[in-house]
Amino acid sequence: MSLSISHLVVLVPLLPLLGAIATVLLGRRLGPRAHLPALAGIGAAAAVAALVLLGTAADVRGGHGEPSRPVEVITTLWNWATVADAGVADTASGTPLGGAATATAPFSIPVSLRVDPLTATLLVIITGVGLLVAIYSIGYMHGDPGYPRFFALVAMFVFSMSMLVAASNFLLVYVFWEAVGACSYLLIGFWYSKPQAARAAKKAFLVNRVGDFGLAIATFLLWMTYGTLDFHDTYTADGTIVPGILGQTRLSDAAGYVGGAVGTAICLLMLLAACGKSAQVPLHVWLPDAMEGPTPASALIHAATMVTAGVYLVTRSAPLFIGCPGALTVVSIVGATTALVAALIATVQNDLKRVLAYSTISQLGYMFAALGTGTMLGFTAAIFHLVTHAFFKALLFLGAGSVMHAMGGVIDMRRFGGLRQLMPVTALTFVIGAAALAGVVPFAGFFSKDEILAALHSKAHPAAHASDHAEVRVAGGALPDAAAGPFRAASYRSDAAPRGAAGDAVGLDALDRPATFQWLYWMSLFTAGLTAFYTFRAVFMTFTGPLRVPEEAGHHAHESPREMTGPLMVLAVLSAGAGLVLFVTDALGRFLAATPSLSAPAIVATAVPHAFHLDLAIQGTLAAAIGIAVAAIGHYGRRSDSATTARWLGPLGPILANTFYFDALYRVAIVKPLEALALVAALVDRYVVDAAVDAIGRVPGTWGAVARRLQSGLLQRYALAGVVGVLAIVLALAWQLRP
Amino acid sequence: MNPFSPSTHLLLVILAPLVGALAAWLLGSRGLAAVRQSAAVTTLVTLFLAAWLVARYLASPEAAAGSPFGVSEAAWLVDGPLDIRLGLGLDGLSLWLFALSALLSVTAVMVSWEAVREKTVGFYALLLVLEAAMLGVFAARDVILFYVFFEFTLVPLFFLIGIWGHDDRRRAAVKFFIYTLAGSVLAFLGLLTIVLWNAAHTGTLSFDIATLTAGLAAHPLPMDARGGWLQWWVFLALFAGFAVKVPIVPFHTWLPLAHVEAPTGGSVDLAGVLLKIGIYGFLRFSLPMLPEATAAAAPWIFGLGVVGILYGALVALAQTDLKRLIAYSSVSHMGYCVMGLAALEPVAVEGATLQLVNHGLSAAGLFALVGMIYERYHTRSIANLGGIAARAPWLTVMFMLFTFSSIGLPGLNGFVGEFMILIGSFQRAWGGVSAAWRPAYLAMAVSAVAGVVLGAWYMLWAVERVFFGPSREPPHDHGGHEAPAAAHAHADGHGASHGHGDGHGHGAPAVPTDDLRWYEWLAVAPPAALALWIGLFPATFLAPSAAAVRSAMAPGAAALAARMEAGDAVTARLPAPPPLTAHLDPIP
Repeated sequence: MSLSISHLVVLVPLLPLLGAIATVLLGRRLGPRAHLPALAGIGAAAAVAALVLLGTAADVRGGHGEPSRPVEVITTLWNWATVADAGVADTASGTPLGGAATATAPFSIPVSLRVDPLTATLLVIITGVGLLVAIYSIGYMHGDPGYPRFFALVAMFVFSMSMLVAASNFLLVYVFWEAVGACSYLLIGFWYSKPQAARAAKKAFLVNRVGDFGLAIATFLLWMTYGTLDFHDTYTADGTIVPGILGQTRLSDAAGYVGGAVGTAICLLMLLAACGKSAQVPLHVWLPDAMEGPTPASALIHAATMVTAGVYLVTRSAPLFIGCPGALTVVSIVGATTALVAALIATVQNDLKRVLAYSTISQLGYMFAALGTGTMLGFTAAIFHLVTHAFFKALLFLGAGSVMHAMGGVIDMRRFGGLRQLMPVTALTFVIGAAALAGVVPFAGFFSKDEILAALHSKAHPAAHASDHAEVRVAGGALPDAAAGPFRAASYRSDAAPRGAAGDAVGLDALDRPATFQWLYWMSLFTAGLTAFYTFRAVFMTFTGPLRVPEEAGHHAHESPREMTGPLMVLAVLSAGAGLVLFVTDALGRFLAATPSLSAPAIVATAVPHAFHLDLAIQGTLAAAIGIAVAAIGHYGRRSDSATTARWLGPLGPILANTFYFDALYRVAIVKPLEALALVAALVDRYVVDAAVDAIGRVPGTWGAVARRLQSGLLQRYALAGVVGVLAIVLALAWQLRP
Repeated sequence: MNPFSPSTHLLLVILAPLVGALAAWLLGSRGLAAVRQSAAVTTLVTLFLAAWLVARYLASPEAAAGSPFGVSEAAWLVDGPLDIRLGLGLDGLSLWLFALSALLSVTAVMVSWEAVREKTVGFYALLLVLEAAMLGVFAARDVILFYVFFEFTLVPLFFLIGIWGHDDRRRAAVKFFIYTLAGSVLAFLGLLTIVLWNAAHTGTLSFDIATLTAGLAAHPLPMDARGGWLQWWVFLALFAGFAVKVPIVPFHTWLPLAHVEAPTGGSVDLAGVLLKIGIYGFLRFSLPMLPEATAAAAPWIFGLGVVGILYGALVALAQTDLKRLIAYSSVSHMGYCVMGLAALEPVAVEGATLQLVNHGLSAAGLFALVGMIYERYHTRSIANLGGIAARAPWLTVMFMLFTFSSIGLPGLNGFVGEFMILIGSFQRAWGGVSAAWRPAYLAMAVSAVAGVVLGAWYMLWAVERVFFGPSREPPHDHGGHEAPAAAHAHADGHGASHGHGDGHGHGAPAVPTDDLRWYEWLAVAPPAALALWIGLFPATFLAPSAAAVRSAMAPGAAALAARMEAGDAVTARLPAPPPLTAHLDPIP
């Protein structure tokens, strides 16, 4: 089975790539059928991904009675770059550091793909949602002059995203981390003639680059700490193994991971990267603007898949985080804060797509809050929510696109209403998605959100959950500050400074205590209420009440065509049922536990029996019910349009309307100063550096009174004189040296 | 299968453009078409020969051993101790730069196809002479020959800028020439000192670079007060020549001026190849021959590289002229090469060597495309351009591809070099310097990574303004709305088949606002394809130069390690932890 999986996993990214290439080559010739190659590629990839998932599931079940037997299959395609003996012996110390016989490590980057439960799960989500979005786009993008370009980019994105989750090397992760960013850039700026779209695309790329900066440095630090960038163990020709960063060898070694200052730095830099890609505070500012792109792209990239890359990265690197409790707690704090901030902003938005955008930011915040608990429950809950969120948020976005399609491009909720009469399928499916998002029993979001709240609650009240398992939290910082890399890591230890720096890490570690998580729990619960409020505010404004249609819609406002409603219905079924099925069977949780990254002893130790927390469920449902009730009262009392809401919010109103002044702050604190600095640099270049050169250049001229006769002004003659003179010197010297 | 020996083959590659130049001159009376066609054929034949030679090199035993290939040595002046031979040959250091010169010469000819309509004979002849000089400088195995070719690249470019350039061309040409000549004369004095020092110790006045490298390794130039710090002075002399050429900030101000004023073909060669000679000189001479001085200067050069990255990026951010912006981006990108070189770590130096080729491809592509935009809109002002994507989608696609390459997007070539340079630099900063240097080195390395963000900023800003947004009518285009379509038909009728015949007497050739044409494709497609190839399979390009790069940098790296150790003697060292591999049972 594993042999075939190793072949199949190559097909998952390859087929969409071929689809993209074929679209580029044939797009113009195919005309209105330009979607065919991309659709075929993504569809086939989805089928293959399903096979991969089934095969992996069979592998996981293979080990009877050992639920968390880690499963991974590695396929190496080609060697991307190799520099032999890159880690030269640290001659500064006189002896090879690390005491290893081989003080050299090759800088070797194989193009390796992996399959494990985490990857298999995400591949299915990426290709599956990708396929639905592609089908939907046939209707939505119909008649657009950039029709082939759109499908080429979507297929390209599916390729890049599949590679991102299948890559088995931090450098490859970085490669596709940026590649999905480039696809996102091109899709946000798809309607490039619109200045807002062009600006939003640039903004998204640059904000993401700030995150990439973090990932790049984290990768460098990993290379220097561990001497490899591979996830998996590799076997050299002479039979020795090079332990990968997330390989079985290192995972089974209690001292395998670096904690302390370096470990914390790596984790925080990765978190920075995740904040960029997953739009977490303070790097979330690009996602709302990204709504300038076509709605299907927003659904696929800016809701269901790409933005979850940060969640994937942290989950994949769980063993690195687990030794740095301070960094983990920061992940939770960032997540819960983002969830709250974005939900607050979403309550006053009137653009339906922007409501959903802020909601995406908020829901991703939930996932980060769960990840930061550092428990098995937290990690699996985050991925569980990732899966359900992919379904219901894609559904909501596509529903919003359906509305926009019918309304002639208008998406301001104040300008339409009562659309359930006009587009019943869209309305029904949207309500299902909204119920899932709001966490209404028994829709998908309810179960995954419940698990996240449970993960936070167990960290907040370890005593109350003590009966669940023996040990709730890993002893903070218990993992030794061991430099396991074969060479350079030791050199860092040779310095006295990191001891002091380790103090910083300890300072951060102090955050990891129940009180912090009690705060985070209540924040998350409050956010759940807000979520229900803004979601149903949008539902009520859009679909209930008397029918109102803007004039842009013309006379042909109608339900969307079948290729658009079809995907909506499929996603609606998934949004309605997936949570219940996955929760009751606990299939996803048990499956994910076989991921190598989550099989680290420190994580396995936190595993708890699968349980339904009735008390938490009641709290969550109560919050959702209150939110929906407030939205309903507000709407029927005609209070949910922004003017009245603003008055009701008081001083909070302008803050929310200006989205907490993040954009203004960046403009004042970063963009403007840098632009000013650039101007100063340009002036210095011209009037200082260049002027100095010119001044020096004029010096010979001032001697000219004497030497004017020599100055014929003919450059060639100067050059000739120079060369002749130099040659004369040479020959004279040579003559001197004649024996 | 091979009709001639490697050395003959190499000689043919260098001579082919000269023959072509002669042919262009002879065909001058037959008009523009004949001249440019002969130039195109010449560069294509040269490229074919060069590619064939590269293939032969890669298949040869020399490539595996990292030794020079296609060596020919004509005795020029051999008398007593005097031993001047005109040696040619290729090795891992020069291989890709040699090939790059041949490739970009095609681009240089193709971008001039319609742009140059005056004194075409001289233009193409000089362009071909320049090609021969560029090929020669990388093939030279002899100090004198190297220097002759080195200087010989200046003369054709001086005339190309001075005659076929834009408004301020004379000032730009003179500044370019004097500045680089002043530097290179100093460099030549440095090289002569090396030759004489070697002669004083071996008794043979050899100019052969390999002999000199070996001689200097056996008898290093003194690097102490007793010896008059001779090595240090020689290093500074070479630095003067090569730093101006790279250019390392603050010796860069000739570059933007020269680029802005140069005709597109000249810019392509200048950015694509000539800047690389500086770094190549460091690798060929300074690192292997003057290791102690290199090591002493390495932290400062490393710093200058980082300053160049940030400074070049910031100045680029403030530019209003698209060509000037790309010129400053070259300054910034060459900063990465300087940094990687000075890091003296294998990964970084190999990355820097590859980055020379990468930057050559992307900068040449960008300059070529800016030239095409200028031909269409007669402006390079970013403020006056806009919405080109709607009119010329393929031009936009190519520009974005080179932009992505330039800002280091993975999958394209720029990323490979940048990433290797940065990871090597971190490696140096982390564990390869003394405790006193470590904070400074780490700060510099982190700043260099920040330069990646700035680089994306100015390039994407330019792309947004020039290609996106609403379509703008360029100020010189007085055709109204029908103009593009009408001009398009016009171009298809004449431009492609016999472009010279459509008789615009007025200075502005009416190249219309249409998409890329066949000769423009020929200019940008090969660099683009190579950019993708290197991005996906960098190992193919890294491996052939690895051995040569390694042996060139080894003395410098050892000297730097010794210096850092001396600086580190005071730092107490903790006992090293047991290696992880020691207590693991290998899994069968």
